[in-house]
Amino acid sequence: MHEMALMGEIIRLIESDAKEREIKKVEKVELVVGDLSNALPDALQMAFEFYKLQELDFLDSNVTLLIIREKAKAKCISCDLEYEPDFRIAICPICDAPSGKLIAGESFAIKSYTGI
Amino acid sequence: MEIRLNQDVYSHNNSLANQNREEFQRSHTLVINIMSSPGAGKTTLLEKTIQSLSKEYRIAVIEGDLATQKDADRIRSLGAYAVQINTNGGCHLDAKMVEKVLPEFDLEKIDILFIENVGNLVCPSKFDLGETHRIAVLSVPEGNDKILKYPVMFQKTELVVVNKTDLTPYLEFSIEQAIEDLKVINPESRLIPLSAKTNEGMEEWLQWVRSVYQKCSKQ
Repeated sequence: MHEMALMGEIIRLIESDAKEREIKKVEKVELVVGDLSNALPDALQMAFEFYKLQELDFLDSNVTLLIIREKAKAKCISCDLEYEPDFRIAICPICDAPSGKLIAGESFAIKSYTGI
Repeated sequence: MEIRLNQDVYSHNNSLANQNREEFQRSHTLVINIMSSPGAGKTTLLEKTIQSLSKEYRIAVIEGDLATQKDADRIRSLGAYAVQINTNGGCHLDAKMVEKVLPEFDLEKIDILFIENVGNLVCPSKFDLGETHRIAVLSVPEGNDKILKYPVMFQKTELVVVNKTDLTPYLEFSIEQAIEDLKVINPESRLIPLSAKTNEGMEEWLQWVRSVYQKCSKQ
């Protein structure tokens, strides 16, 4: 459960960017969270609610968090097939080779935020 | 107004880690980040490593734990310099915590710096500290299934030390199976079975440390 620390980092990054742009109140935050990013959306949402309750100056009291999930995708190194792996051990459904290269699903980024 | 940041959440940690790395490179200090579950034997492995290598290298340790100075005290009692980081509940070390304690080290006088991460098989693997090498310790009592159940740790490390092999006669753990599982999830990693308690297998690990030190000091 390191989502609390990760959310702290997200809040810190947004705070410093908003300060630079002279944005006083942040009303909405959008994150991209990959299925294999090791960050759980529900736990992130919970951590976000915690920060919301801290009544930080730059966060609007109705600030919302939107999490966009990024599906995992792997590419087989022998046949180039792109497929959705069950987990990190990507096994190609055609070749049965377990060495699929992950090409999506590990993202963990602040996509955007909206403020005034 | 909408601000499109598109910023990786780990970007701040990664840039601090790169700063740490540059500092380690300047002083030609080899830095090994050791990760495992609690109780796998990281500190015992370090104690035995210091006892065996302290005549060849100047060794220092950063100890990461939620609380207490216990591990740093164990290292200090062997005459090695150690700094304890208490994360106060945090489940991993990050680059900032390491950066904060670096002024307490005279890196010019340290050949090898071991970082013993917080005992946790999940979170530490996501945080680059600026280390030269990252390894995992897995112990026989934890069972064979851990490599496949916690793949991220074993995908993000280049070496797995399987500790407590003196217990294999009493427990169902197959080194061969562990090697096979590791091949599936990370073909580039390797495995060294040893018992830090009985010293069986320790020489292969010490040789690995010597070989990575040689590469690092030539840079």
